[in-house]
Amino acid sequence: MLVRMIGYLSFPAFLLLWHLISTSGLVNRALTPAPTDVLEALWSAASSGVLWADIGWSVSRVLVGYCAGAVLGIATGLITARFPLARSVVAPTLQVLRPIPPIAIVPLAIIWFGLNEPEKYFLVAWGVFFVVWIATFMGVQRVNPLLIRAAEMLGVPQGRMLSEVIFPGALPYITVGLRTSVTIAFYSLVAAEVAGAFSGVAYRVNMSHQNMQTGLMIGSLFALGFVSAVTDAAFNAVARRLVFWH
Amino acid sequence: MPEGRGSIAIRDVTVRFSGRAGSITAVDRFSVDIGSGQLVAILGPSGCGKSTLLNAIAGFIIPQPGEVRVDGVTIRGPGADRGVVFQQPALFPWKNVYENIALGPRMAGLDRAAVDERTKHFMELVGLAQFARYYPEQLSGGMQQRVGIARALANNPSVLLMDEPFGALDAQTRELMQESLLKIWEENRTTLLFVTHDIEEAVFLADRVVLMSARPGRLIADIPVDLRRPRSAEILVSGEFVRLKKTCRDLIRTESIKAFEEQNRVEAGNP
Repeated sequence: MLVRMIGYLSFPAFLLLWHLISTSGLVNRALTPAPTDVLEALWSAASSGVLWADIGWSVSRVLVGYCAGAVLGIATGLITARFPLARSVVAPTLQVLRPIPPIAIVPLAIIWFGLNEPEKYFLVAWGVFFVVWIATFMGVQRVNPLLIRAAEMLGVPQGRMLSEVIFPGALPYITVGLRTSVTIAFYSLVAAEVAGAFSGVAYRVNMSHQNMQTGLMIGSLFALGFVSAVTDAAFNAVARRLVFWH
Repeated sequence: MPEGRGSIAIRDVTVRFSGRAGSITAVDRFSVDIGSGQLVAILGPSGCGKSTLLNAIAGFIIPQPGEVRVDGVTIRGPGADRGVVFQQPALFPWKNVYENIALGPRMAGLDRAAVDERTKHFMELVGLAQFARYYPEQLSGGMQQRVGIARALANNPSVLLMDEPFGALDAQTRELMQESLLKIWEENRTTLLFVTHDIEEAVFLADRVVLMSARPGRLIADIPVDLRRPRSAEILVSGEFVRLKKTCRDLIRTESIKAFEEQNRVEAGNP
């Protein structure tokens, strides 16, 4: 009981402590703004519309990039796991590219796409693709072979095996990959916006840093965290209903 | 059911697996004929190759050499004419009872109404009509196997192959399932091949008990069971039943000892 009470109070206590330290004169308030300063900056960004525009841009980039990466990842995973020929053609190259961190791809993406939205979509999709591809591949390999035999003796033709048995059978694994890549999508987003954007939440963090608007900077960080948390929660809710048997 | 459907000709079936220690012969020149509508038990000690033989009849394994013919057609792969009930229920966890049973008829191209009628018929036959919307994880092991049986039968197969389907169940449930199976089988008398290591189960269910040796699995005896049908639990203590059990038991025991000693030898050789 006491433990739970402490749990409820710890974050407000943290805020209080932060406020006291910032306003005390022990630190430079310009560098370490108080929670109230952060709220002021956020409020001003919200009423001017800048905050919503930033969130809109960031969310749209994550959404488009994530969907593209996920769809491609699942398709590639299904095909490479099911057809050995496809695997020998595609997998070696992908395995070489996979360990490259998405952040390192940013300059290349800028050269190829320019500083625009497709460049951001590409970066987000890149990180998502590799995680989802591997998860799908492993999921297909781990489908209970007895289920495939059961399908065969029931007369499921090979052409329908993928949709009737293999894809649903691999779905629990695929979902894990999809969830992990949500986090990666946000990392890639930050890298993309910091390197070359003119809008977006991570861009705002970077910009406000350059303009010493520390209140706005910290506020934007919280906004980013909030968006990420909401996305994760929404994803979990969908995933639990989709893979209800696991 | 149509005359003569579901006759199985097993001719010199041999199955070899190559492993680390060289090649293992699981089934060795197995030959037997099974007539349409017969319920035949394949009885043998654990590891003797009876499941492998069943897999060859089902078409999951191709014997080399040897062949299996069902109604004159050589088996080259699995198909809807040979339904299989596995040791584990192997139900599709994302499908409910209805959907699991309906899959076969759907794949056969039947229209919605026919699929529905078939599915409902077999759900009722195995006593699970109330559980149509339940998912496998909500069912007990016995109920899951009943779905497995209904699923295999819904395709109207020529032959039903069962691989120790009640092995994972407790003794009471197993007995009830055996009686249940006989009742279901009486409905249309599909040719039924039942693999087991349980002597009582084999004699209780079957018209014939085919005995398989320890690995490599060979045919060692083919024992007719002339007990009257329909059979109930009462025959378990009848004189004829006990006599048949003893016959099988004596033959099996030699083989079980062989299998046991073989296993000890293998394990001693690989510390």
